[in-house]
Amino acid sequence: MIPARNEGATVGEIVRGVQSSVDCSVLVVDDASDDPTADTAREAGAIVLKLSNRLGAWGATQAGMRYAQRHGYRTVLTLDADGQHHPMQLPGLLEFHRQSGTDVTIGTCSERLSNAKRLAAGYFRSITGIAVQDFTSGLRVYGRRAIRALASREASLLDYQDLGVLMLLRKKGLILKETPTQMSPRRSGGSRVFSSWRMVARYMMHTTVLCFAQVGTRARIGRGPRRTEPAA
Amino acid sequence: MTAAITAALIGVLLAGAILYLVRRDHLHGSFAIWWLTVAAAILVLGIFPPVIDWLGSITGIYYPPILPITIGIGMILIRLLKMDVDRSRSERQIRRLTQKLAILEQELRDAKDTHAMPAAVEPITPTAPIQRTAGGR
Repeated sequence: MIPARNEGATVGEIVRGVQSSVDCSVLVVDDASDDPTADTAREAGAIVLKLSNRLGAWGATQAGMRYAQRHGYRTVLTLDADGQHHPMQLPGLLEFHRQSGTDVTIGTCSERLSNAKRLAAGYFRSITGIAVQDFTSGLRVYGRRAIRALASREASLLDYQDLGVLMLLRKKGLILKETPTQMSPRRSGGSRVFSSWRMVARYMMHTTVLCFAQVGTRARIGRGPRRTEPAA
Repeated sequence: MTAAITAALIGVLLAGAILYLVRRDHLHGSFAIWWLTVAAAILVLGIFPPVIDWLGSITGIYYPPILPITIGIGMILIRLLKMDVDRSRSERQIRRLTQKLAILEQELRDAKDTHAMPAAVEPITPTAPIQRTAGGR
């Protein structure tokens, strides 16, 4: 599944790349683009969901999750439409996901992480305890339980696909793992979040509030009767 | 006494405006109840100012005239908070509806395609009714 906004230049190539390296249906969620992203993707052979108004990266991803749940898919792999994730990497990522038996696998590229991102990751690790290096990575594999959790109403008010989503998954008792992958720098457009200092400040404030609002929910779930991990 | 008349006038005008808006279908029922309560409170406090002094003596507030202002600001804050809660709920609904609309549009396109294909090969005659494929996506 590929969420895309104004990525008409690259999306066709990505769709064909995914189709040639993995035997799966390719879903492109077009986040109300102004360019012919949807048509390009459809011509390349993808199923296309075209959102009528802009919902942001996470809103688009969730639309895909709901489609996947509705149509009974058991695994969803997400990647960005801007060409930074190589379709050749996908079989390895899927293999890791199947063998490790996790609910969510995050493909990370540690060489690509900027110092600002490392700092942010350290900061969020200290307040949430989620030890994920590259929490903004859009290259992820979600299992069935993760799809169900993320298609829920509870996940609809999240604004960014990263920490809020990871916290929600952890709250549901799902297991997250990271695996190193190769990525290339984006060919078109910059990072949507880390584009300007104002955006970064907004993002950090937003996520910090979200983190503190979640304090205690994990402990309560953990002690409750609905534990998903078998008791040792 | 003129103060009482002014306050009563404000209360009556507010109540009248609210009832007018409800009649014209511009204000949803539950909001109307809230605003009518506010109008009634203004009316009562305006016509019987001793109520304020009485409330002040009960609550131990030294300068009673500040009391309606404090309560008023408190009410406004509660109202604002509730508005944001409601807005978050509508935002969630709008997002989910947008997603559902996109999914249904795709499914409609899909259904049209699967039904249009055989028709292109073999035109449907009036004697052969359209066969729906069972278990379509």
